[in-house]
Amino acid sequence: MKKIGLFAIPLFLFVGGVAFLLKGLYSDPKELNSSVVGNPIPDFKLPDLYDSTVIHTPDIFDGKVTLLNVWGVWCITCAVELPFLTDLVDLEGVRIIGLYYDQELDPEFGTRSIESVQKEAYEMLNRFGDPYKFHILDIKRDLSLDLGVTGAPEHFLIDKKGVVRWHHIGDVNENVWVSKLKPAITVLEAE
Amino acid sequence: MKRLGCILLFILFYASLAQAAVDSYSFDDPQLNKRFIHLTENLRCPKCLNQNIADSNAMIASDMRRKVHQLLSEGMSEDEIVLFMKARYGDFVYYQPPLNAVTALLWLIPLSFVFFGFCGFLYVKKSKSNESSRKSVEKNKALAIEKANSLLGLEKEQ
Repeated sequence: MKKIGLFAIPLFLFVGGVAFLLKGLYSDPKELNSSVVGNPIPDFKLPDLYDSTVIHTPDIFDGKVTLLNVWGVWCITCAVELPFLTDLVDLEGVRIIGLYYDQELDPEFGTRSIESVQKEAYEMLNRFGDPYKFHILDIKRDLSLDLGVTGAPEHFLIDKKGVVRWHHIGDVNENVWVSKLKPAITVLEAE
Repeated sequence: MKRLGCILLFILFYASLAQAAVDSYSFDDPQLNKRFIHLTENLRCPKCLNQNIADSNAMIASDMRRKVHQLLSEGMSEDEIVLFMKARYGDFVYYQPPLNAVTALLWLIPLSFVFFGFCGFLYVKKSKSNESSRKSVEKNKALAIEKANSLLGLEKEQ
């Protein structure tokens, strides 16, 4: 009995260690637990990308399930997901609002003018598809920081009461849509 | 010698580049400067996984440096700024993990190794001393029998 114990305990520890490390090998280190999920969207007053006289506030989320998409013309993956997002709008009726995220526009970091960005964004959306109702221009990126944005593209699913319910880092593709986004939207629409 | 000069120039050139890459925020108050350096060295860049925001050139890291600078200027304490960042980016953002249900294992596993190791040590020591005391008892017994035999005048049989 004692001998079996001497043999089994190291074996047990070894197998346990292997299982733990194997799990780590396939986990995505970029997948973080978002701290903003479950909280109402932070307060903001930000202009529209194309018309600085239009000011957006959290009211834009009232009564409608919305996908808030963080993007910028500098972001390659954003361009890649544009056709798919456009399909979601056309075929599935998803409401998508853009959160425009661009450090180059911030006079403290970059030198780009708003006009040149507007033009480039227009051309990009013309070419790959335009899924957006409109764009919030987060020029100082304070709203993005409050939302825990780490880069672009990122997505936030916001319910009818303006509460953030899902945060996704990276692009939305067929796989993400079927396994995560579509079921989440179905639940929120029913609320 | 010429080659050495080239290498030195090369190093100097890159050193100047490296310095130019990091924006420099500073305060008039040296105490605040110290806090700023301490915070940016202990806040982790959420995009680059294993770099602090002082070292990283990622967009988010420079935004966070600016935010730390702004919050310090507004008079926030270090702890408040850490909480501010944690509320947005989770515990991940601070290099010192908190002790909670999820991280308890990190502390408990090494402690349990020490505990079980100590138990094992005591067990081995005890069984060894048991064995030696048993041996000495047997030895005493044999001596006593021998003595008794000699007292009784009996010859040793073997």
